[in-house]
Amino acid sequence: MDVRKIIESLTSTFPEAISEAVVESEIRARAYVDKEKAKEVCQYLKDSLQFDHLCSVCGVDYIKRNEFEVVYHIASYDHPVVLTLKAALPRENPEIESVVSVYWSANWYERETYELFGIKFKNHPNLKPLVLPEDMLGEWPLRKDYEGFPNKTAKNLV
Amino acid sequence: MEEKLEANEMIIHLGPQHPMQPGPFRLNLRLKGETVVGADIELGFIHKGIEKILENKTYLQGITIVDRVCYLVALVNEECFIGCAEKLLGIEPPARAQYIRVILEELTRIQSHLLGTGEFGEFIGFVSMFMYTIREREDILSLIDMITGARITHSYLKFGGVRDDLPEGFKERAIPILNKVKKAVDDFDQMFHSDRIFRERTVGVGVLTADAAKSLGVSGPVLRATGVPFDIRKNEPYLVYKDLDFKVCTETAGDCFARVQVRLNEIRESIYIIEQCLDQIPDGPLFPEGTPYGRRTPVMRVPAGEVFHRVEDPRGEMGMYMISDGSDKPYRVKIRGPYYPTLQALPPLIIGTTVADVASISGSMDGCTSEADR
Amino acid sequence: MVIEIPEFIVPFLPWIRGTIGLSLVGLIFIGAMGAVWLERKLSANIQSRMGPCRVGKYGLLQLVADAIKLFTKEDLRPLNADKLLFNNAPIFIMASVFLVLVAIPVGAVFINGTEYPLAVTEMDISVLYIEAMSAISIFGIFMVAYGSNNKYSLLGAFRNFARMVGYEVPLGITVVSVAVMTGSLDIVEISRAQGLIWNIFLQPIGFFVFFVAIMADMGRLPFDQNESEEELIAGWITEYCGMRFGLSYFAEYMHMILGSFLIALLFLGGWNVPAFVANNAVLGLIAPTGFLLVKVVFVIMVIIGLRWAIPRFRIDQVVDLSWKRLFPLALLNLVWAVGLGLYLGA
Repeated sequence: MDVRKIIESLTSTFPEAISEAVVESEIRARAYVDKEKAKEVCQYLKDSLQFDHLCSVCGVDYIKRNEFEVVYHIASYDHPVVLTLKAALPRENPEIESVVSVYWSANWYERETYELFGIKFKNHPNLKPLVLPEDMLGEWPLRKDYEGFPNKTAKNLV
Repeated sequence: MEEKLEANEMIIHLGPQHPMQPGPFRLNLRLKGETVVGADIELGFIHKGIEKILENKTYLQGITIVDRVCYLVALVNEECFIGCAEKLLGIEPPARAQYIRVILEELTRIQSHLLGTGEFGEFIGFVSMFMYTIREREDILSLIDMITGARITHSYLKFGGVRDDLPEGFKERAIPILNKVKKAVDDFDQMFHSDRIFRERTVGVGVLTADAAKSLGVSGPVLRATGVPFDIRKNEPYLVYKDLDFKVCTETAGDCFARVQVRLNEIRESIYIIEQCLDQIPDGPLFPEGTPYGRRTPVMRVPAGEVFHRVEDPRGEMGMYMISDGSDKPYRVKIRGPYYPTLQALPPLIIGTTVADVASISGSMDGCTSEADR
Repeated sequence: MVIEIPEFIVPFLPWIRGTIGLSLVGLIFIGAMGAVWLERKLSANIQSRMGPCRVGKYGLLQLVADAIKLFTKEDLRPLNADKLLFNNAPIFIMASVFLVLVAIPVGAVFINGTEYPLAVTEMDISVLYIEAMSAISIFGIFMVAYGSNNKYSLLGAFRNFARMVGYEVPLGITVVSVAVMTGSLDIVEISRAQGLIWNIFLQPIGFFVFFVAIMADMGRLPFDQNESEEELIAGWITEYCGMRFGLSYFAEYMHMILGSFLIALLFLGGWNVPAFVANNAVLGLIAPTGFLLVKVVFVIMVIIGLRWAIPRFRIDQVVDLSWKRLFPLALLNLVWAVGLGLYLGA
């Protein structure tokens, strides 16, 4: 499928949820999505535009802008386009709807993002720490203002 | 998994240390006699925090660290990382460097598949299989050692090219070894087909249909064994794969036997690719002309931007999402390993089978826990 | 069958039997060490690597070094393990070996044309006795597995039961068919009655069934589900350390040696040699025993080679194999043996 058609179809179906859509090349495109509508957009992508492969869900900490971003990379088994959807969340109380009901493999990605950043995914079936030990829950290591565990001696954090 | 146990059920850990695992993870099984009725995986025993480390090291230091995401297929990890940075920098390695990279990555694919097949044989009790595949793998590792200087964790690729050229007489050393491996793979194939006990342990065990595999999110030989021809080298070709002639190996059965078949066929295809590269490789420089990138990399400031680059790892689709803010260290690197979704798909697949089949199915996924934990 | 014994030896007979018995106990330990060495060297050859090669010439003293290591290890016992069962299980495991050992003739000597089999006791029902005593080891195995308080051991014990129950039946039927054709349950008699036409040619199906059943009985691959390393760590002996582990490990190899003796005596002609060898003074002393030992070593090498050449069955496939395929074959063989026995007898 042509990448421009995909972006047009997205922006025409969700005019207020998708913003700043950019086509980077023939096989890459990215867009910002409103955090309330992220799950609906994913469902639309899976049903109508053949995007049935979730590459990853990750979080990014933009401390200077005082917000988190949850980034979805969604690809397809049939065509080579990879779409990057970004949802901006406030830094104080980051919460977003989980997409596990749309893509089954998002389960562990969301658990990992939760324990590394502190972003809560609502309606996730099993939001427990995955790769970190149990006593590190609450440390949110991948934030930019993380100071170290158990001694707060981490230096040189940009 | 946490419900109250009935009278004849018990919970057993195929725990962090077990002869059967490719790396430490805890698989909690809830057994009724010998049948598995519940399963759960706990990870994190080999979590090294690579994503956080990469944010505090320069790009050049990052190459050595990315090696260790999965130490067995280090060159493919480096290729993903360097591919991201090259896209942000806007440079492309010259033709000779690209051919050398393809040769090395295909050699890595061969040795990883040999190890995976041998380990699978060992998990079902066929210990001699492991010894035979390791013997062939030694020759391939000696070839990689000739070029890069190390057997694992090479740190050989650089931004814009490779560190050193191919040594003298490499083609004459490589062709006999590749022929020997091809003959050995034919022997293994015939061994697997004719062994009655092996077929009883693997045919019809752990069957995945194509739709189930797609919805579970797996990739790599596990997906290709169900009939879906998804290969990044054909979907979005990188390096010189668009000039090379090879086919995507698929099977239709989706059970453990089909996965082993796919891996053996992929070894043959990789040998064919390497022979083409050794014929077609042009002379030329190793780094792009007119740029400061070379063997001694300057302090690199990568322009601000973000990119998502995918390569075909021996186990599936490996991706890296790199965000740069213009300084000499990455702002955020997210590593998407190929074994992560496959491991996630393991518990639903083993419910209803016996403990012996858990070994069979888990071995046929050919995993490396180090890359699931990062 | 009673053999003529000269008069002056009769008071010393118990002493002679005791001496032979004790030396057999020592010999079987050495034999087990030799079997382990043979397995390590043979498996190394199959896998194109070198086995033990440093301790002694060709690594022959490797097992002595291993025995020293096992003796000097700490003997651990898990806190919640059942003391009585855990400590006393090796007694049952070794008792089975020694009880079988007294009835098996390890050879024969021909003095002045008469044959003296080298066995500690000769009973009229020795084959039945051997089969009964070899089933005692299952008590030892279950004592260990249950008393270890370890789930892996327990799973191993369950699999062991399923396997043993399934394979004792074809084993017994095959032995009975051999005995029926010979007309006696005495193992010396069965071995002697074969003459130069071995039972393997008269009952080939019986040999095949017996071979598979006794490999399953001994717990050798492809039937070693109870100690399959990859799934159950070490199966029933997971919690054993030091010399307890050594005794259990050696017991497996002793069972293998005894099983090979059974195969050689029941089906491969025992120690029968042509008449001109038996009447020779020097050859009559060493040739029959030597011939039997050569056959036993050959059978051991085949069993070892099979272990490293094929993968392992799943437990339900093992039970399937015994009840659905071996059992009918054994019955068929029994019918054949009865018919053949009547024909030959007539």
